[in-house]
Amino acid sequence: MKGTTVNHRRRELAHDYALGLQHYLAEPEEPALARAHELGRKALTDGLGVLEMATIQSQAMSSVLTGSFADGDQAHVLEALEKFFVEALTPFEMTHRGFWEANAVLHRLNDVLEGQAKRIASALHDEAAQLLASVHLALADVASRLPPDRAKELQAARGLLDQIEQRLRNLAHELRPPILDDLGLVPALEFLGDSMSKRWGFRVMVQASIEQNLSATVETTLYRITREALTNIAKHAKATLARVSLQQAAHQIVCSIRDDGVGLDATALVNGNRSRGLGLLEIQERTAALGGSLRLGPNEPRGTDLTIEIPLER
Amino acid sequence: MADHMADKDGEARVRIRSSADIMAARQQGRALASQGGFSSSDLSIIASAISEVAQNIVQYANSGEIIITLINNTTKKGVEIVAADQGPGIGDVSRVMRDGYSTGKGLGIGLPGAKRLMDEFEIASEVGKGTTVRMKKWVT
Repeated sequence: MKGTTVNHRRRELAHDYALGLQHYLAEPEEPALARAHELGRKALTDGLGVLEMATIQSQAMSSVLTGSFADGDQAHVLEALEKFFVEALTPFEMTHRGFWEANAVLHRLNDVLEGQAKRIASALHDEAAQLLASVHLALADVASRLPPDRAKELQAARGLLDQIEQRLRNLAHELRPPILDDLGLVPALEFLGDSMSKRWGFRVMVQASIEQNLSATVETTLYRITREALTNIAKHAKATLARVSLQQAAHQIVCSIRDDGVGLDATALVNGNRSRGLGLLEIQERTAALGGSLRLGPNEPRGTDLTIEIPLER
Repeated sequence: MADHMADKDGEARVRIRSSADIMAARQQGRALASQGGFSSSDLSIIASAISEVAQNIVQYANSGEIIITLINNTTKKGVEIVAADQGPGIGDVSRVMRDGYSTGKGLGIGLPGAKRLMDEFEIASEVGKGTTVRMKKWVT
């Protein structure tokens, strides 16, 4: 249904556009250009894209160019065609600039949220953990002065406290891995590689060359993506080696995680292998949030190559 | 039809009451800006910004005026466009400058769109008195 309406509107617009263009050729004056602007605006609100506008222009062109022109005429007509087209595209220029602005605002917002997450994470990690430690001490003190059977009851409460502590720690880590602030990105990645290596039994090599300080958001994203990718490798790739490489290129940061495992099974990604698919989805979303792109393909001579490119603010 | 005039060099005033006047304002703007040394695509951009502010007058104030002036400083050259009306005015200016307020769909056309096309943009409004938009674009 929706498709039909859009098609209908598109046809109607193409028709009006061709008429407008003919008017402009017959009388190259402001009213026709104002009409071009209106048509562009209408196309925009109807949900047409710039490419569709190009098609509409091109169709209108072929309809007016069927006759033959003298040489002088032809240059004149071509100029008119261009003017009319530019006029019809100016509303798109407005929106386009609007999207740039919105994008910049989103980036700033992202940084603000990241800063907030950082503060909450450190409050959870440091302050709440300290308070819990004091509670532990206080309880231990009370327990030492109770008869043994009563002290045992307190033990259960202390077990619950331990659980709370663990949960807070996990939550803090989810929000912003504290190690990023304690050690910095590259040592944090090396540490991550080591612990993955110990836990899952494949080697992880981290190689990085970064010249400038990255924003907290970019750091956290790179850390999480690497963790997610290494977890994927651990669970599915049957690899013996994973290489994490972090390179700063002109205006962007390139992060690739390559393994020598069984390689990518595209069908498994789409169908059965939910856990791997979800991990990838998360990586994709995190990358997209920073305006970056993701490539997933085979690694040479074997395994998988996941490469992420994230633009850096200029 | 449209009662407009280029009353002195480098300035044009156009009364805005209908869509026909929008065209006249665009035409005057384009002609002056062309004299002022703007590129062809900038002329379209200026005409477009004029369309948006003029449309706003027709839609919300019924009538108003657009004054286009060439600016010729020692340092900068450009064009100033003032769109003034004695319409109902806008209570919350920041609200109309938000995308999607008057034009729907958050597409960034209308007044916010005009602002993005120009280099400078100010809007002043008082309820019951009217609205004045003053915008400038510089020759680059």
